[in-house]
Amino acid sequence: MNNDLESKLKHALRPVAPSDAFTQRLLARVAASRDSRPQARPTASRITRRAAWWTSAALAASVLAAVGIQHQLQTERERTLGLQARRQVIEALRVTSQKLDLAYQAVRTQSVGGDRDSGV
Amino acid sequence: MSEPRPIDINMDLAAARAGQPAAIGALILAHQRSVYSLALRMLGARDLAEDLTQEVFMQMSESLHGIESNEHLEFWLRKVATNRAIDQLRRRSRFEMTPIDDHEPMFGPVDHGDPLFQRHLEMHLAQLSPAARAVLLLRYQEDLDPTEIARTLEIPVNTVKSHLTRSLDAMRHGLAGAGREKREDKHR
Repeated sequence: MNNDLESKLKHALRPVAPSDAFTQRLLARVAASRDSRPQARPTASRITRRAAWWTSAALAASVLAAVGIQHQLQTERERTLGLQARRQVIEALRVTSQKLDLAYQAVRTQSVGGDRDSGV
Repeated sequence: MSEPRPIDINMDLAAARAGQPAAIGALILAHQRSVYSLALRMLGARDLAEDLTQEVFMQMSESLHGIESNEHLEFWLRKVATNRAIDQLRRRSRFEMTPIDDHEPMFGPVDHGDPLFQRHLEMHLAQLSPAARAVLLLRYQEDLDPTEIARTLEIPVNTVKSHLTRSLDAMRHGLAGAGREKREDKHR
């Protein structure tokens, strides 16, 4: 009974063909859609494109690295100049301080000598 | 014109992947009966079946790069056709409760089978859920076993088996009832 029902089902459900008119329309439609689509690039061109992409990426990375190094060197140079300037300022202050000391002692010596002369 | 052309189908596939229009046409001719019949029996209307068949083959022509063999293509076409039909039936059922069109010749213009059985099968298909209908068609139209059906519809094998059992039981009871009615009519 079950096998009989199953064989009847298989017989009744055999695939049917669509109309020839529909088949023609379908083939034309699919062909037209493929024609209107941009064609796939050939393999060689795809490889060239990939190489170009990697070259661009490598160039961009090199430029970024060069800019970074340049920035680092510039910072280092400014720091060295800053230290030199600081040292010079300290040296100038030290010299000025010495001069002031000398001047103060000279004034003080003159002041003590003047007092003695006037009998104070 | 619309007869399948089984020879060199894998060569056709390779040529179709390379973009040769004649090879794509050959693939369509080889598989259109299966796709169209699934669509017609799932949706129950010729115009809807033609639209769905066209959509499936348009999608196929866009997806050929991912198809590895003729077996893969057959699997892919059945999967896309049944899933699209199930989606369409589910969308339709949200808006209307129209059963399969009674006047649509779902079993082909020439069939030497039992007309009572065919009528009964048509009514039975109309009453099935979209998934159960797909299971029945994949089993008896496409001759797939439950494991292949489960893979195609992405459902558990046990669900496939229970759909098949329920469908066969319902058909058997319906046919027994119809047979009794026929005998009673003859006696009157």
